[in-house]
Amino acid sequence: MADKKQGIDQALIRDLANILNETDLTEIEVEQDDLRIRVSRAGTPQYVQAPIAAPALAAAAPAAVATAATPADARSNKNAVTAPMVGTAYLSPAPGARPFIEVGSQVKEGQTILIIEAMKTMNQIPAPRSGKVTEILVSDASPVEYGEPLIVIE
Amino acid sequence: MISKVLIANRGEIALRVLRACKELGIATVAVHSTADADAMHVRLADESVCIGPPPSRESYLNIHQIVAACEITGADAVHPGYGFLSENAKFAEILDAHGITFIGPTAEHIRIMGDKITAKQTAQELGIPVVPGSDGEVKPENALEVARKIGFPVLIKATAGGGGRGMKVAKTEADLDEAVSTARSEALAAFGNDAVYMEKYLGKPRHIEIQVVGDGMGNAVHLGERDCSLQRRHQKVWEEANSPALNVEQRMKIGQICADAMKKLKYRGAGTVEFLYENGEFYFIEMNTRLQVEHPITEAITGIDLVHEQIRVASGAGLSVRQEDIVFSGHAIECRINAEDPRTFVPSPGTITHFHAPGGLGVRVDSGAYQGYRIPPYYDSLIGKLIVHGRNRVECMMRLRRVLDEFVIDGIKTTLPLFQDLIGNQDIANGDYDIHWLEDYLANKTDA
Repeated sequence: MADKKQGIDQALIRDLANILNETDLTEIEVEQDDLRIRVSRAGTPQYVQAPIAAPALAAAAPAAVATAATPADARSNKNAVTAPMVGTAYLSPAPGARPFIEVGSQVKEGQTILIIEAMKTMNQIPAPRSGKVTEILVSDASPVEYGEPLIVIE
Repeated sequence: MISKVLIANRGEIALRVLRACKELGIATVAVHSTADADAMHVRLADESVCIGPPPSRESYLNIHQIVAACEITGADAVHPGYGFLSENAKFAEILDAHGITFIGPTAEHIRIMGDKITAKQTAQELGIPVVPGSDGEVKPENALEVARKIGFPVLIKATAGGGGRGMKVAKTEADLDEAVSTARSEALAAFGNDAVYMEKYLGKPRHIEIQVVGDGMGNAVHLGERDCSLQRRHQKVWEEANSPALNVEQRMKIGQICADAMKKLKYRGAGTVEFLYENGEFYFIEMNTRLQVEHPITEAITGIDLVHEQIRVASGAGLSVRQEDIVFSGHAIECRINAEDPRTFVPSPGTITHFHAPGGLGVRVDSGAYQGYRIPPYYDSLIGKLIVHGRNRVECMMRLRRVLDEFVIDGIKTTLPLFQDLIGNQDIANGDYDIHWLEDYLANKTDA
């Protein structure tokens, strides 16, 4: 009985292993009478569920006030100038006036690039370094939060 | 009316306030530091604003940024939670100047109660019992007369003092002369000033506090007491409502004194009058002009949502209850779950790998924690509060024992094992403890 079973096992396993390779499957399981064999490719992840359950959240993440439209790559761009404070960003010194900067402008370190209004105070935001403005990530009169990328200076 | 509330806090209390706002149909704005971008209160809020880097000073304590966040979101009210800016009179004034409602008392009341001396004077004027003491300096010549008036034992303290120096206890008249002269010479050596004053000495007091809510127009109620005697380094660890030490008559008497005082003061919002309690007498310590961490045990035994009441009175709608409507039902205990080693109390920030909150009848968990949440190292270690309610203290304790075994927080150390230990202690079972009990107990345990 034991011999017979072992014989069956070996032959069957070899067959299954060959099929596994030919078909490029990761796992085969067969059942015959009271015998069940599973052949699986070693090292292949078999997880049905993620190893750590994602935090159960009834609600989706809220719309962060001003960040929804910001491209993800700009967020991580080390050349981006980020908002040092919360407030409303203005691109020109007065409504209708010419903007401080445009895409393609050369800026000098310390030059005002935009204004953030907070608590009725206009805060001039200086360029942290000299360079060329390649992107403006905020629109005029839009709210910004702390750390939000404003412009990119290359 | 209030239509959008900015919650100027983080952690479990931000979530607590958010829940009340949602129930009242009020829009919510969460503010957060860069370290809290993944926090639960941020995820559940209608809008969020990042207000600064991790240090509290530059984010949660930054008035300028918080007011700017109100402006860009159009929030018409701010709930400060507890801690941070909740007892900052200047913050209340600035919001007022910007036409934003501060969900709390007036700046004037915050200021009065924030100063030890004016708080005690005001309490006394309002008829609240204070620790009896000498009005001003005590000289060796008049010490006996003053001490007899106060009643022994008495404590002699340096007027310039602090840190336990220049402090001596006189248990009886026989000790008095020596206590006064030692305190005076210690005071002179330590502070260059030998002036001392005298106070009633309390050897084994309990910490009992009365919850009050006022509408700011001369109406106020009390919601009974909380016993917060189990403390470690002046941090409350375990709180109960009602106190195992008070009977109905005592409860209603001290409660009424506090409610009457708040009516006279025209106090607005939730507040807590804290007392030391010994031998049937109450002695005022301070008043907290905000929501307390342990407020849920009062909610459990009264069924009244304190944050709802805060928002109501801030919007001018008045209180939803009269004193005669308030009924105390059963018993509630709160355990503060800290991310700390349960023996050494060393903070244990890190990632929570598994989180299972207990459930069942009479169980409430207020926590911003979840599986995969990383506890930032910048803020306090409170990660959740477990509140258990039962029809009486015995049922409450039995339920708490069951619930503590059910609560799972893996990946960090928490104070859960401390509570599993306390629930089996005979003194705790008997409600027989004072403000020194826990520290003595922990010290003896370490020695053993």
